[in-house]
Amino acid sequence: MPRLLTVQDLVVEVPGRNIKILNGVSFSLDAGQTLGLVGESGCGKSMTCYAIGNMLPRGLGQAGGSISFGSGESGSERPTIAMIFQDPTSSLNPVHTIGYYLETALYRHQRLRGNDARLEAMRLLERVGIDNAKSRLGAYPHQFSGGMNQRVMIAHALAAKPQLLIADEPTTALDVTMQAQILYLLEELKAETGMALMIVSHDLGVIARLADKAAVMYCGKIVETAPVEQIIQNPSHPYARALINCMPSIDPADHQPPVPIPGSVPLLDDLPQGCYYNPRCPRAAGECFKRFPPLAPVAQAHNVACYHPVAA
Amino acid sequence: MTGFILSKAVRAFAVLFSTALFVFVVLRFSGDPAERMLGEFATPEAQAAFRTLWGLDKSIPEQFLIYLQHAIQGDFGKSFADGRDVFDIITQSIPKTLTVSVSAFIIAILLGIPAGIVAAIRRDSAIDRLVMATAVLGHSIPMFLVGLIFIFIFAVWLRVLPSSGSSTWRHAILPIATFALYNAASISRFARATLIEVLEQPYIAAARGDGIPPSEIILRHALPNAAIPLVTMLGILATSLLGGTVLVETVFAWTGIGAQFVRAVGQGDLNVVQAMILVFTVFVVMINLTVEILYAFLNPKIRSQQ
Ligand SMILES: Nc1ncnc2c1ncn2[C@@H]1O[C@H](COP(=O)(O)OP(=O)(O)O)[C@@H](O)[C@H]1O
Ligand SMILES: [Mg+2]
Repeated sequence: MPRLLTVQDLVVEVPGRNIKILNGVSFSLDAGQTLGLVGESGCGKSMTCYAIGNMLPRGLGQAGGSISFGSGESGSERPTIAMIFQDPTSSLNPVHTIGYYLETALYRHQRLRGNDARLEAMRLLERVGIDNAKSRLGAYPHQFSGGMNQRVMIAHALAAKPQLLIADEPTTALDVTMQAQILYLLEELKAETGMALMIVSHDLGVIARLADKAAVMYCGKIVETAPVEQIIQNPSHPYARALINCMPSIDPADHQPPVPIPGSVPLLDDLPQGCYYNPRCPRAAGECFKRFPPLAPVAQAHNVACYHPVAA
Repeated sequence: MTGFILSKAVRAFAVLFSTALFVFVVLRFSGDPAERMLGEFATPEAQAAFRTLWGLDKSIPEQFLIYLQHAIQGDFGKSFADGRDVFDIITQSIPKTLTVSVSAFIIAILLGIPAGIVAAIRRDSAIDRLVMATAVLGHSIPMFLVGLIFIFIFAVWLRVLPSSGSSTWRHAILPIATFALYNAASISRFARATLIEVLEQPYIAAARGDGIPPSEIILRHALPNAAIPLVTMLGILATSLLGGTVLVETVFAWTGIGAQFVRAVGQGDLNVVQAMILVFTVFVVMINLTVEILYAFLNPKIRSQQ
């Protein structure tokens, strides 16, 4: 599969204050592939998405590294990227109808207008599981539940015929049955359209289900990337391992209780010297307190930023 | 929609009636008009004659009923001071006041809203600082002082405009400018703050991520949302268009309703005060009704409840 996206040493800073929200993020994504991004809240998952999607909040800027598309040569075009978010209802403009939202997107991306746009909007709504599509076109976001609005956002994303869909915690704000439905929908659409998917979650279960490969983030850095089975079954970074151990198992035969990670995430303006995980890490020693470890391969397609990775 | 308007109309009527009653009673308990009109050295006989003349010797409920009876027929009595018909006093002074206040309001909107929008879009730039500095200045200098400064510059120093009076349109320029500056200052600050808040909403970030051009984001996505609180704010400002020009009218000797009201209150001219308060109330009720209808029109969340 051809390369779709390469992120290299991406740095995003709060200007004027020496705070790096993203501090050298590197990963890549092939066409049609699904990347799962995991990590505790505040580690920079959303910022990574925003940087790729060209929508960093006001005042924050890319201060280093690169985001390149395709083969990375100059002249390779930016692929079509669509995004969906954690809180679908506040990501929809309250004064516009669902129909306006979808039809303007269809015009922007496919030059459809008038009745063509209307029909396509209805088809998209039906595709994402909203029935009565015709009457729904005149509805406003506040008349829909969060789950329905997330479907609307997905329909809107599809209107762009994206090569990459970025889904930032698309199910976090939804109830459990709705979560399952949305995940199932994403799986189906991925198979149908062949788009690549970058899905953010702090739930490894979601990642395990959808992703081909996973990246684990900690304090604005990627600390491990690997094929998803590898990360779930054989995590190398002590943080990745701890993250998996603190997930409640849904397997009834598994009697191991979840183990919480000791300590807490350091503040970005008060990061420890060396590896940012060292205050919480049982394996920290020597070099760990001096320099942040570089991301280095431990196996085929498996990279870890750790001086003392857990052996396979 | 008919039910909506009907319920608002019933409410408006209730507000009007209770205001009339309240003002009527309070005015009659707050000092003796006979004494205020005739002076404290008037003989008791003269005062008694004054009370009989204006029906002030009857009981308050009786007076109120008589007042209502006449008011319904459009007769609001005569001024205690000069015997002129209250209706005439009011209908003559309202247009004078509205000439100044409505022109000033329109100018303030035309200046304040674009200035606020530009300041919000170019936040923290030189133009934003300029607009905000002007607005803070315009808002914090008392209106009468601005009026006096204008008089000094344009009437005394440059001698291009008259300083006071209300006989020609040239007399209206300085009062309008003074009132407009003050209102433009608050409108631009409010517009800027509202638009900045809207621009920080997730749906705006999402629209940017979607590649919608900045001008379209402002026009189609941000402004329709900012318009909702802005209309409420403009409504509140508009309710002061009849009464709020008192200071300006005083500084420029502009004989509008505000100046008349101040005189009537000072002299205890009950019929004039009473009628003017009713006019102010009707005005405020009408503005509020307009705001509510506009609000429902702009805000889908309100509209879908009706
Ligand atoms: N506008 C901003 N200015 C400064 N810091 C911010 C801003 N927005 C978010 N942050 C900080 O950036 C970090 C990463 O945030 P985010 O990417 O949203 O985390 P995640 O999505 O992983 O929970 C957090 O520590 C957050 O406090
Ligand atoms: Mg997030």
